[in-house]
Amino acid sequence: MEAIFDHLMLGLKVAITPLNILWVFIGGLLGTIIGMLPGLGPATGVAILIPITYNMNPATALITMCAVYYGAMFGGSRASIMINTPGDASAIVSCFDGYPMTKNGRAGEALAISAYASFIGGIIGMVFLVFLTEPVAMAALKFGPAEKFSLLLFALTATVTLSEGSILKGFIAMGLGFMLSTIGIDGQSGSIRFCYGLDALQDGIDFLVAMIGLYAVAEVFKNYGSLHVKYSVDSKTIGKVWVSWKEFKRCLLPMIRSGPLGFFVGVLPGMGGTIATFLSYATEKGLSKHPERFGKGEIIGLAAPESANNACSGGAMVPLLTLGIPGSGTTAVMLAALMMLGIRPGPILFEQHPEIAWGVIASLLVGNVILLVINLPLAVPLVQLLRVPLRIMLPMILGLGYMGTYFLNYSSFDFILVSIFALGGYLLSKLSVPIPPLVLALILGGMTEQTFRNAMTISDGNVATFFVKPISLTFLILAAISLVYSLWRQKKLSSPHQ
Amino acid sequence: MNKKRALWMVLFVATAVVFATGTALAKDWKPTKAIEIIAPAGPGGGWDMLARTVQKALTDEKLVDKPIIVTNKPGGGGATGWTYLKGKKGHGEYLAATSPLILQNNLLGKSELTYNDVTPIACLMAEWETIAVKADAPWKTGKEFFEAIKKNPASVPVGVGPTLGNDDHIQFLTIAQAFNVDPKTVKFVVFPKTAAEQIPAILGGHIGAITISMAETLEQVKAGKLRLLGVSSPERLAVIPDVPTWKEQGIDLVFPHWRGLIAAPGLTDEQLKYWDTVIGKMVQTKTWKDLLKKLDWDSFYQNAADHKVFLAESYKSQDNLLTSVGLKK
Repeated sequence: MEAIFDHLMLGLKVAITPLNILWVFIGGLLGTIIGMLPGLGPATGVAILIPITYNMNPATALITMCAVYYGAMFGGSRASIMINTPGDASAIVSCFDGYPMTKNGRAGEALAISAYASFIGGIIGMVFLVFLTEPVAMAALKFGPAEKFSLLLFALTATVTLSEGSILKGFIAMGLGFMLSTIGIDGQSGSIRFCYGLDALQDGIDFLVAMIGLYAVAEVFKNYGSLHVKYSVDSKTIGKVWVSWKEFKRCLLPMIRSGPLGFFVGVLPGMGGTIATFLSYATEKGLSKHPERFGKGEIIGLAAPESANNACSGGAMVPLLTLGIPGSGTTAVMLAALMMLGIRPGPILFEQHPEIAWGVIASLLVGNVILLVINLPLAVPLVQLLRVPLRIMLPMILGLGYMGTYFLNYSSFDFILVSIFALGGYLLSKLSVPIPPLVLALILGGMTEQTFRNAMTISDGNVATFFVKPISLTFLILAAISLVYSLWRQKKLSSPHQ
Repeated sequence: MNKKRALWMVLFVATAVVFATGTALAKDWKPTKAIEIIAPAGPGGGWDMLARTVQKALTDEKLVDKPIIVTNKPGGGGATGWTYLKGKKGHGEYLAATSPLILQNNLLGKSELTYNDVTPIACLMAEWETIAVKADAPWKTGKEFFEAIKKNPASVPVGVGPTLGNDDHIQFLTIAQAFNVDPKTVKFVVFPKTAAEQIPAILGGHIGAITISMAETLEQVKAGKLRLLGVSSPERLAVIPDVPTWKEQGIDLVFPHWRGLIAAPGLTDEQLKYWDTVIGKMVQTKTWKDLLKKLDWDSFYQNAADHKVFLAESYKSQDNLLTSVGLKK
């Protein structure tokens, strides 16, 4: 225990130099701004920094990149809250209650709680990183293809059951998402699936394109359908970026609960923020005494996933620091940048370069404080955007959406895709088919399929493999419970009062 | 007086213009605008790192006098970026990173594009392939390992990524054949996220072995968690002196996982000569050598002419192999 504090002090000594604090500030600001723009996520932000890091010492370089990563996590939900356009996959869930809060005139509150929740999640992630890196890294190794498949199945089931309206429609949406995820070249067999001779489809559908279409552009359509309806925005309270102590207290426990959840999911390579946020939302909705308030601007529905999301980026550092393998797209870029500086993270990084490993961990503490300081004032001008009339705002969102789409792959074909998704999203919302299961299935579909195949290959085609492994079985039981529970709830709601 | 001065100026400018354009008109070619190096994948991968190392070496050593930008054009296992390059016909300011995938994509019918659609500039570096097992696994040599597979293929699932038919996979198939193991009986588990999934899967005991680039395993080997059964280099590598080459184990296989540079098609001889010279100088510089060392990459330089021959030969030999193991239909 004492050794840990010694190390942490060493880390703080590295992190708290004027130069490093300056870089954390610059990185955090850059990350926040990049995170806000649709289509640009933390991986892009870190990639932009690579040429700058060439001339830094490795600790400063890694600290700066972490600041960008965290900044993007803070910023990612801004656009979700303000214009229903997630900046990144892990910000999808922030739309569910964040955007309704904005529509209810509580944008300032939403932005404030999202900054606080991000901070709390980030700190929880850091504390876990300090004390639990080693055991958690070992535990994560127990997750093979079978365990991962069951976890994915649970996340998908939970998402279907948490969505509004009928569960059947939720499963229809999930089915659509799975179908879309099969488009493209299949890595295992090499066969080209459902491309209809279009080369542009060979890599599959980029889920960010789908997201921009289904959320941002479809939202514009929806608003044009109701231009005459005014937001219930009170111009007196609009600029207040502040959350009352009473509301904060209500969110506190959910935020703290979501931290560890996010951290553990983040440790699993390739899983990441998307699952963490969806699961934390599902958990809080399940635990809430008023689940019917979720999706209509319930502040807990925003606070919990925001916390999970940031704790998750702490978790994603575990495989990078202990195994030298990237747990997410962003840490992959960090790894590349570090290698060019001659540092190869791995099992012996903590022994060989304690100043780097602990410096980074300590910088997360510093970074989170700085990001909170950056983000609260930054929300003030953002909220002012709501004063812009809809007829001016909507074309701007449309432009931003298409621009973001082009930035993803520099492919003009994506314009067509984004338009199709927008029309489809509009249609689905008219049929009250929930969008989240579709998006999640599209994001996780490929992984679900491949983990299933891999588990089958390893077990020689024996399905029992999912039931004999304890971790896998646990997730399957959880999935079954969430399904049965929500069917029971739906039946109770739909049956007339006796 | 002023008039005279003006005349002098005219003379000076005229001379300057004539001589400046004169050099440009002569047979030497130089980039006239910013140079673009295309990494046909996202940031963080092998191509991206090659593009960025070349960018850094050329810039730091001042071998080019125009700025260099690296652009990431992911998609189609490289095809998206290379097709973009193909469209820049005759423009000398565009380069792209390549690897054997430019051959394999075509051989496996994933892409129409081949090395003939672009101008090979150089081969730059190689990583070596290895087969890794857990440190406490019973197999110490390639022979022991493949004997076990021959006896019971189902007992040893082998992790490969991101797709079948790449260099990692081909290495394994070649060695399997040499040990008289039918490649079709081997249980391959495909990991689309490559090392990020392969390393935890093997450390966690979910699979029996991985076929992978040696550098990806190095830290685990140093930490005593993985054992390498052999390496595809011609001689033992300095970083892992205890690991025998496949050649030492009686297998006729030296197998570089190389990466290189290509330029747009239809370059003039002067444009080709320019890059051949510049890259030839670059690989001699200290910056380049230092970067290779940091990244654990081996130098594997071939100039434009040699690389073209090498590509043609590789295309043929990989065609034969992929056909014989049933991957090419």
